Amino acid sequence: MKPKIAFFDFTGCEGCQLDALNLTGEELLDLLNAVDIVNFREVMTERDDDYDIAFVEGSITRESEIARLQKIRDQAKVVVALGACACIGGINCLKNHVPMEEALRTVYGKDAKYYDTIPARPANAVVTVDYYVRGCPPTPTELLKVVKALLLNKAPDIPGYPVCVECKMAGNVCVFERGMTCLGPVTRAGCNAICVTSGRFCWGCRGLIDDPNTDSEKDILQKYGLTVDQVIDKFKIYNTYAEVAK
Amino acid sequence: MQENSVLIVDDEPIVRESISDWLKDAGYQVATAESGEEALEMIEKQDFSVMVLDIRLPGQTGIAVLKEVKTQRPWIKSIIITAYPSAETTAEAKKLGAIDYLIKPLAPDHLERLIRETLGSVGKAPTVTTAVEIRPEPPAVEVVEVKKSLVISKDGLKSIVESLVKETEVVGVKSRHGKYVYDRVASFEELRLDHDVTVMPPTQYLLPAKETLLKFKVGDEAQVEPVTEAAQRAIIGVHPYDVKAIELLDEAFMATNPDPNYIARRQNTIIIAVDCLNPSPKSFAPSMGTRLTETGFDLLLTDIGNDYMVAVGSEKGAELLAKYAQAREPTGDEIVRQKAARDEALAKYKLSLNVAKERLPKLLEESYDDPYWESRTEACLSCASCVMVCPTCFCFDVHDEVSLSLKEGERSRQWDGCMLVDFAKVATGENFRHDKASRFRHRMFRKGKYIVERYGMVGCVGCGRCATACLADIASPLEAFNALAESAGLKEAAARIAMAAEPDTGLYAPRPAELVKVDELTPREKVFEFRFKDGKALGQRPGQFAEVSVMGIGESPISISSSPTKDGTFQLAIRNVGNVTNALHGLEKGAIVGVRGPFGNGFPLEALEGKDVLLIAGGIGLFPLRSLVQYVLDRRSSFGRAVLLFGARSPAERLFVDELAAWSKSPEIEFHETVDRGDESWHGNVGVITTLIPKVDIDVGKTMAVVVGPPIMYRFVIGELKKKDIPDENIIMSLERRMKCGVGKCGHCQINGVYVCQEGPVFTLAQLRNLREAV
Amino acid sequence: MTQVNINVHQLTRVEGHGNIVLNARDGKIDELRWEVTESPRLFEVMLRGRYYVDAPHIASRICGICSISHTTASIQATEAAFGIQPSEQTLLLRKLLYNAEILESHILHILFLAAPDFLGVGSVFPLVETHKDVVLMALRLKKLAYNLAELLAGRKTHPISCMVGGFAKLPELGELKAIEARLEQALADLEATVELFKTLSIPDFTRETEYIALKDPKEYAFISGQIASTDAGIAPLDKYLEVTNEFCVPHSTAKYTKNKRDSYMVGALARFNNNHGQLLPRAKSAAKELGLSAPCHNPFMITVAQLVECVHAVEDSISLIDQILTRGLKEENNEVRVRVGRGIGAVEAPRGILFHDYTYDNNGILTSANCVIPTNQNHNNIQKDMEGLVPLILSRPEDEIRQTLEMLVRAYDPCISCSAHLLSLSFK
Repeated sequence: MKPKIAFFDFTGCEGCQLDALNLTGEELLDLLNAVDIVNFREVMTERDDDYDIAFVEGSITRESEIARLQKIRDQAKVVVALGACACIGGINCLKNHVPMEEALRTVYGKDAKYYDTIPARPANAVVTVDYYVRGCPPTPTELLKVVKALLLNKAPDIPGYPVCVECKMAGNVCVFERGMTCLGPVTRAGCNAICVTSGRFCWGCRGLIDDPNTDSEKDILQKYGLTVDQVIDKFKIYNTYAEVAK
Repeated sequence: MQENSVLIVDDEPIVRESISDWLKDAGYQVATAESGEEALEMIEKQDFSVMVLDIRLPGQTGIAVLKEVKTQRPWIKSIIITAYPSAETTAEAKKLGAIDYLIKPLAPDHLERLIRETLGSVGKAPTVTTAVEIRPEPPAVEVVEVKKSLVISKDGLKSIVESLVKETEVVGVKSRHGKYVYDRVASFEELRLDHDVTVMPPTQYLLPAKETLLKFKVGDEAQVEPVTEAAQRAIIGVHPYDVKAIELLDEAFMATNPDPNYIARRQNTIIIAVDCLNPSPKSFAPSMGTRLTETGFDLLLTDIGNDYMVAVGSEKGAELLAKYAQAREPTGDEIVRQKAARDEALAKYKLSLNVAKERLPKLLEESYDDPYWESRTEACLSCASCVMVCPTCFCFDVHDEVSLSLKEGERSRQWDGCMLVDFAKVATGENFRHDKASRFRHRMFRKGKYIVERYGMVGCVGCGRCATACLADIASPLEAFNALAESAGLKEAAARIAMAAEPDTGLYAPRPAELVKVDELTPREKVFEFRFKDGKALGQRPGQFAEVSVMGIGESPISISSSPTKDGTFQLAIRNVGNVTNALHGLEKGAIVGVRGPFGNGFPLEALEGKDVLLIAGGIGLFPLRSLVQYVLDRRSSFGRAVLLFGARSPAERLFVDELAAWSKSPEIEFHETVDRGDESWHGNVGVITTLIPKVDIDVGKTMAVVVGPPIMYRFVIGELKKKDIPDENIIMSLERRMKCGVGKCGHCQINGVYVCQEGPVFTLAQLRNLREAV
Repeated sequence: MTQVNINVHQLTRVEGHGNIVLNARDGKIDELRWEVTESPRLFEVMLRGRYYVDAPHIASRICGICSISHTTASIQATEAAFGIQPSEQTLLLRKLLYNAEILESHILHILFLAAPDFLGVGSVFPLVETHKDVVLMALRLKKLAYNLAELLAGRKTHPISCMVGGFAKLPELGELKAIEARLEQALADLEATVELFKTLSIPDFTRETEYIALKDPKEYAFISGQIASTDAGIAPLDKYLEVTNEFCVPHSTAKYTKNKRDSYMVGALARFNNNHGQLLPRAKSAAKELGLSAPCHNPFMITVAQLVECVHAVEDSISLIDQILTRGLKEENNEVRVRVGRGIGAVEAPRGILFHDYTYDNNGILTSANCVIPTNQNHNNIQKDMEGLVPLILSRPEDEIRQTLEMLVRAYDPCISCSAHLLSLSFK
């Protein structure tokens, strides 16, 4: 019996799910041989509410989304948070820094109507999440890695060490030596340090490692020229929910 | 014999005449021959001190003549000349005792000087240059008194590089983002041989960030195929400290348990080294003895202005020179310039050790509890940048990956480091080095002590890369060593030359074993009986372990639970704790797994023979100890009294209950057991295992105690055993650590300087007293 | 009494969340609505207060399919604010990167989202059995576009190397050459797709409306030019607010727009109607093959116009690569000097014209931002199209009406989650 897989999207850009389709012909055929995709609103009209594994993309920003996610958790045997928004809250959390009334007041002005919006949060703030596919977006292979691990009934092999390890493996010259600053030392690896390899720096989209020495990282960022506010700002982009952006 | 008589043997008149004239002007007695036969005739009639001999002669070849001359007139010093140099003839000529080998067109003054020097050393031992060869057995080490140095022009080097680029993959030092890196080189102009230090060391080509060890197919047959890469490669621009690092890797990967992947790369790599004349401000190579090197390279270049001085380190190197460059003898002036360049570079180093490097092991040993480790690592990010950039770091981790079809996959290894949080963590979740300070201390001990003591070579080559890479600015071993500096006298570790045995291609390849029987012991423990498909026995000693693979899931170390005295099959008792053990628990009779081993030292049977054995097992400590129990019972007459104590947490968690029953009835062994807490069905002893020990009367003089159990148990049991005055050497324990490769390479199982998979897992208490991390 | 009750909740095979509601009795329409129910993400809030380096990074996350469009618009708005003129090399690379997005997004829509309707199935997955070659080809084209973006910017979704001032890393010429070969092969694949589309029957419905797109005298515009309208002529970028005129409606979390008429259309068909003369030769002949000629007022032909643009994008990419190979690539100084200013970046996202309007302070920090999203601008037109279409099909079976309405919305290739995000904000 092939496991049944469903994709759900909450508040997000849907890039993670669509990247899941970025497979070669062979990979897609292998995937369809291994699993049944029964629910994928963006790509399929048919939908089946009997699924085993639910991939959840996007963060929770509305009351109605909380109930919806809980229903998914009740149905699925395994819930996988897909992408930074579902794993750690993602970019959506940036708006949490502005008091909600202030933002709403000016959005609709005299046409204001009630629509519910709550501070953005990751999926695991609402339900238990079994596995995480991190990144904004995750690497194409990481989703497949989790699928394969689920098929083999083993825990997926996701690193717990920081991006610096993969950056060195890629032979990159350290970002700090090139006049920029970087969150690599406290960010979880698994992306192969793609942003540094592409010429930029790590923004921290995969979330913090389990026990980051954020004090040391903040000191280092200041040592390399950032003000305290700029340091906080850097953490805000993806790590607002982790409360390290204070 | 006239001391200045020279015989010139060459078929070309112009050569004979020009050399002859020159030498006569210089005051020598000269005779000439135009063929080998003629030369031999002349030698019979007349003695010469020196023979200048062309290789290509009509009739008898120069080599043949040389051989003849050596037998008939061994005192004649021969100098070979030729327009067609080749590595084979050079080697041959050297073997036959030729003084030197010159390439036409000759510089007559060179020849004359050479003859003069040769004659000046008449009566002394000949000076011979040899390549450092890699041989299967310890060679009679040929003492190198004078390194052969030649000179090539920049164009000559260019010619070598460009020819290599056509033949093979060439990597060299290039500039990138204002730093220096190793990368593929397409032309000579890309090279930056004036660099100070590269971001990543050249060891990345011998032990790459990730490489495949095995390919496998999943399924009934579980086919496994070792994979090695054998592509040729030349590395250009390697500094002496990196050369020394490679020598260390050679020793670690080739000397014992020869690693097939490393060997394939190493034997296909040409190393063109370069003296470091522009040291990095963080380098302290001179303090570590790695500023210069006389071994470990094929060619070593020193930039002396318009030209390069070239030291020939091997036959490969000689061949390169012969094929692609016009190398010539250095002038005296050039030799002076090389020394001056090196001295100038030496003056540029800013940092040095405040203590002789030979004292480091002792210094570190005495600093084990120094508060330095804690205070130094407050800012540590555990990012392992220091490890990643280090040329002497070589620990690795191993992972399985499968295709989406789940039918085939690869097992590969990738860089790992003791500075990472999970390096010493086992499947049950216990982490044997869970704090930054202990990880950092371990790394410094590796660099300054454990590597030195294990391999006899320097563990830190002073390149300064880690000091540059560390954002928290704490990584430099120099700063650590200097901070701990103290005077202590230590003996110098001897240097050894790396040797390559035949690569053990099956080193990482599991052998298929069939599951013939599975029994459940408790809800989470089962005992599995395996037989190798090829019928061979595992050949284990009690106390050893095996590495068991479920291809695609991974590989896990499991102690062997049966004695070798049971033929044909072996048993592994396994608790379900992680990915691999979970997969094993799902297997049915007939399934095939992969097994490597046996590994480790096993229980010291020789020390136990004739003695009384007191065996103490706590919980699943019975798994490995059972093999010893079975062995003792099967070879009963070899041992004195046998006592077995077993403690389980509760009656439901007792293991091998049928055997326990048999042992309790057997007259061959005294068996006592207890449970931590009982239940209604239990009528035996209740209490921790230590409660059994005082009840046993032993003869201290002839008792050996063997204890296996969870870490918490050891302290209390040892306490009870010491109350009985059993000496430390007679208390034997088996320790658990995270084992991965099983062959002393990946680094995960280290307890201080010891590899548990090699020198353990069985240790005496006496040994453990010296291993601080063991308790 | 005949009743038609259609309530399509969270329409499938579109990006984002929207509902179609139709209630009619005896041929009289009681309710007909295209509802946008997407959660607002408040991007202007996220952008405000950010350093310019992070602005394109965040703007990219507005959308997962057209992240390159948002990134480019964001970069251009910032460069306009700072008075930076990108180099010729940068412009060539940007255009090439942009073509990758057009190709990928259009192929996703044409073959994965829209085609199933024409082939009578609910998704692309059954097509793996019945039209395996088509599916493999679709994946091949998508992968090609993805790899092209990867080559230039590190990855396609949320690109990395493109930044204000230029590119942080340049591609290898050898790799550009290799991908050029694959682009040549893609032309054959696109021809096959054209042939496939000639066999499909596109619903015949016309409703003339205003069509708005970027127009550049030099080429078929994607990342340059001014605002062109089929009703009104050319307007400069800084007049975009007067063209778009956003307003709220009660049943939508996205705002609507209008200009000279009740609504207007943006996107591939709007571009075609305004700029068809500037299509490259093979694209022009593809249009002819497919029976697409200007002016076209059938929204169902948007998909066909997208296919024509795919051909154009591939043709243009080959030409751009040739130019780059001839010029070579050299490392450039990407230094950026910040200053106070306001800039507008306008690009043609796959779904239509997109505006990013940024104001910076003298430290390079964004003080305010406004984005007008293409699908925003189409919502009103979708509503009006539905109002025009439903009376014509109301007598058909309910299933067919629903299917046709779904296809109508899908034809627009809406990117709803981008559209529900925002509007001008001012803060105390």
